[in-house]
Amino acid sequence: MSHRTTREHDELRVIVRELATERIAPRAAEIDAASEFPWDLKELLAGQDLLGTCFEERHGGTALDNVAQAILVEEIARADATTSLIPIVQKLGALPILIAGSDEQKARYFPRLASGEWLIAFALTEAGAGSDVAAMRMRARRDGDDYLLIGSKRFITHGSIANLLTVFALTDPEAGGRKGMSAFIVETDTPGFSSPRLEHKMGIRGSPTAELNFDDVRVPAANRLGEEGDGFKIAMATLDRSRLSVAAQAIGIAQGALDFAVGYAADRRQFGERVADMQGIQFMLADMASQTEAARQLTYAAAASVDVDDPDLAYWTSCAKLIAGDTAMRVTTDAVQVLGGYGYVSEYPVERMMRDAKITQLYEGTQQIQRMIVARQILKRAGVSRAAKP
Amino acid sequence: MNNDICFLAEFDGGSPARSALELAAGAAGLAAESGGAAVGLAYGAGAAAGAASLGAAGAARVVVLSDTDGPAISLAAAAAATIGDDAPLAFLAPATPNGRDLAAALMGLLGLPALGPVRAVRIEGGRVRAEQSTLQGTVITVSESMADAPQPVIILALSGTFTPLEGGGGAASVSTAPSSDAGALGAARIVESHPADAAVANLEEAAVIIAGGRGVGSAAGFEPLNELAAVLDGAVGASRAAADAGWVPYQLQIGQTGKVVKPALYVGCGISGAIQHRVGMQTAENVVAINKDPDAPIGEFADLFVVGDLFAIVPELTAEIRRRKGIPS
Amino acid sequence: MKIVVCVKQVPATTAEKRYTADLRLDRAASESVINPLDEYAIEQALRLQEAGAVETVVYLSMGPESAAEALRRALAMGGEEAYQVTDDALAGADQWATARVLAAALGKLAPDVALMGMSSDDARGSLVPGAVAAIRGLPLLSYAAELMLTGSTARIRRLTASGFDVLEAPLPVVASVTDQVGEPRYASLKGIMAARRKSLETWNLADLGLSAHDVHGAALTRVVEVRPPETKAPTERVENLGPAEAASRIADWLAARKLI
Repeated sequence: MSHRTTREHDELRVIVRELATERIAPRAAEIDAASEFPWDLKELLAGQDLLGTCFEERHGGTALDNVAQAILVEEIARADATTSLIPIVQKLGALPILIAGSDEQKARYFPRLASGEWLIAFALTEAGAGSDVAAMRMRARRDGDDYLLIGSKRFITHGSIANLLTVFALTDPEAGGRKGMSAFIVETDTPGFSSPRLEHKMGIRGSPTAELNFDDVRVPAANRLGEEGDGFKIAMATLDRSRLSVAAQAIGIAQGALDFAVGYAADRRQFGERVADMQGIQFMLADMASQTEAARQLTYAAAASVDVDDPDLAYWTSCAKLIAGDTAMRVTTDAVQVLGGYGYVSEYPVERMMRDAKITQLYEGTQQIQRMIVARQILKRAGVSRAAKP
Repeated sequence: MNNDICFLAEFDGGSPARSALELAAGAAGLAAESGGAAVGLAYGAGAAAGAASLGAAGAARVVVLSDTDGPAISLAAAAAATIGDDAPLAFLAPATPNGRDLAAALMGLLGLPALGPVRAVRIEGGRVRAEQSTLQGTVITVSESMADAPQPVIILALSGTFTPLEGGGGAASVSTAPSSDAGALGAARIVESHPADAAVANLEEAAVIIAGGRGVGSAAGFEPLNELAAVLDGAVGASRAAADAGWVPYQLQIGQTGKVVKPALYVGCGISGAIQHRVGMQTAENVVAINKDPDAPIGEFADLFVVGDLFAIVPELTAEIRRRKGIPS
Repeated sequence: MKIVVCVKQVPATTAEKRYTADLRLDRAASESVINPLDEYAIEQALRLQEAGAVETVVYLSMGPESAAEALRRALAMGGEEAYQVTDDALAGADQWATARVLAAALGKLAPDVALMGMSSDDARGSLVPGAVAAIRGLPLLSYAAELMLTGSTARIRRLTASGFDVLEAPLPVVASVTDQVGEPRYASLKGIMAARRKSLETWNLADLGLSAHDVHGAALTRVVEVRPPETKAPTERVENLGPAEAASRIADWLAARKLI
């Protein structure tokens, strides 16, 4: 898979970087310290049409290609990882509808999502069903023209502030998670829905990660995505595409840390010379830069594979997220090292970046899950079938 | 063509503005080198009565363009007629709104070369050369008019480029500009005038400026700065952030879109020193900065940079200066 | 009612500046942006358009081919169309030549208001608006904190030493604005995408009925020397002192320079 960035991509990067540098970066430290969702920045991004990039123009979106969407996320994450989750989760929550939604469902909900008037979240994970999605417990019981949702979700990014959710629940518990799961669009002002608790997190602290309770939440059958039993397939197809955003976020975090470390090393003097003139530091910066660039190019290639709906796109997006997440962790850790003691204190942004980077190795499939997906794809190509579990 | 040096003499409230005295001195100095005379073109309320007094400031002759306040660009035709065919070597204009507009119109009407805003002017081999700080102070350029360009060369001078003469004598010979029709170019009129409630210091003429920025935090936060300014016989200025926040009137804003000042002492309190502010004060002779951020850009170009809380240090400094000056507190 | 906003591309304040061998700024080598004060002029024009006082907002720029980027950026903020004057004979244009060329282009566009930023970030001469007004024989309303258009007249609010004045002139006028007109907007994504479809026409000197001779080879002035600013004495830093000690140090410093 190959890609080519265009003049339009470059133009988008310049515009978003300016916005992010002037308006988002100055807020990053206080968003982190206060653990408060940046509603002002949500409005800013909405006003600049930056929350509708995955939607078609007829729904009020701008229908950017996936490379452009990656650039958008990357440039926002370069300033603040928390804020980059606003477009990331807007797309993540909408992907099940983009993949399996009817024209009527899209027309009903997309304009409000594309404009940023409404936020959406993706409710898949449960306390006992993280990486093992099929271990899901939440139920959706048919009741006339409706379904009644009962159960709870955990670790749902923006779950407490979203107006809309795409929720996954078992319609046929007997058939198990893979075959008995269905997906629904749920409006969060429906009676029976509540968000009782938020997590206290290491990073991305301004982005609420919520526990969600569904106590007989009544959802019209018209809000079911696809057919009963399509849920697992929809969830996997969503994650195959959404992890591209996490890769882009990771690259943005890495680039932000690298840029700060370079600026610091150029200014800071120790032992009578600039830190940047020390070869030991130069080698670190060179490694940070080249690894970030490698992750970026791999992510754009993965984005191009999603653009053409490549049958092998899961391989590409998992490779990209694996490399980008690990790169973000390594580069931010090294950035702290370049700053020395100053890197460890909250007066400088790199310790926040390091805490933020960790999540990119965890969510939307841990790095271990990514490796499983990559391995499965290469073994499949080699004609090696999956071994039966004892 | 002759070797005279013309200058614009703005009058303000009945007397020559400081820019008029500075340019008169500058014109006199340049004229002495070029072998011409310093000729003032005076305008503004009080210009007719005060024109002769510019002799003491260095002018040999003064031509009165107008004796009333108003947009100076309406005097462009009169100024062009005064310059006439016997073109002087150079034409100095103050880098004030009226000075710039009038100079600009002359450049356009007569197709004259223009340099500036400049910070130094000299004559080398009979040619006028001007030194300019460009690109936000990152480079100094020296410019002149092309050899085959018409004269005079218009030179826009920043305040403080020249120093007024002291104890000069003699009255200038005074004449009145020939009447001329400005046409549409002079059609802009002041239709309303709204003075502020309180008088605002004239920063361009202040020898000491205590400036406050974002770090001052509020209108009340300027009080310690006012007190320090009072013991130093100075004026209070501000960065754009402080003016935008409404803590001080915009008239106190120093910087690219505010005043360009050249005091003997500038004390920046809670001012980061962004480039837009810096271009307004970079020619101050002595720069002291007080800021709690050790990495504030002002620390790069201040002469003395004190890292600390302005609200703790400024009142102590005021008290210390009172003690040393023997002023009871 | 039509406004033409004159837009100049300037080196970004953060960009490294380079001069060519003939002492002209190498604009191709420097990272460039719209002159920040021109962004305020754009904002003022767009606000008037949103308020219904103006039908058409047009942009005009003189500069090298790459300056088209500045016009695209302006079109992304809003407005209808853009014109770029670019000609090899204009390389190194000074303020007079710039005013001469803009005046000629404005003659073709015939706006009710020719609007500019009060000065450009790189040269800060502020002479172009007045010179354009003089060449075109139009009233000048300069240093506007706000531009207002009513029927056949333009009014501006301009700050004075102690308060503000209101100035008025009959249309058409040349006007320049300060940064008080309101913070310039960011281009929205839809604005950027729409800008790609807006008309951007390129003119050369001949299109304006001018020759290189008319603009005196682009300049009546020339730079004879470029040098870095004088290196000043290093900053004396005072850190980790109590307020009284810090104040005393400052007072000593002032006394040593006879400032108190």
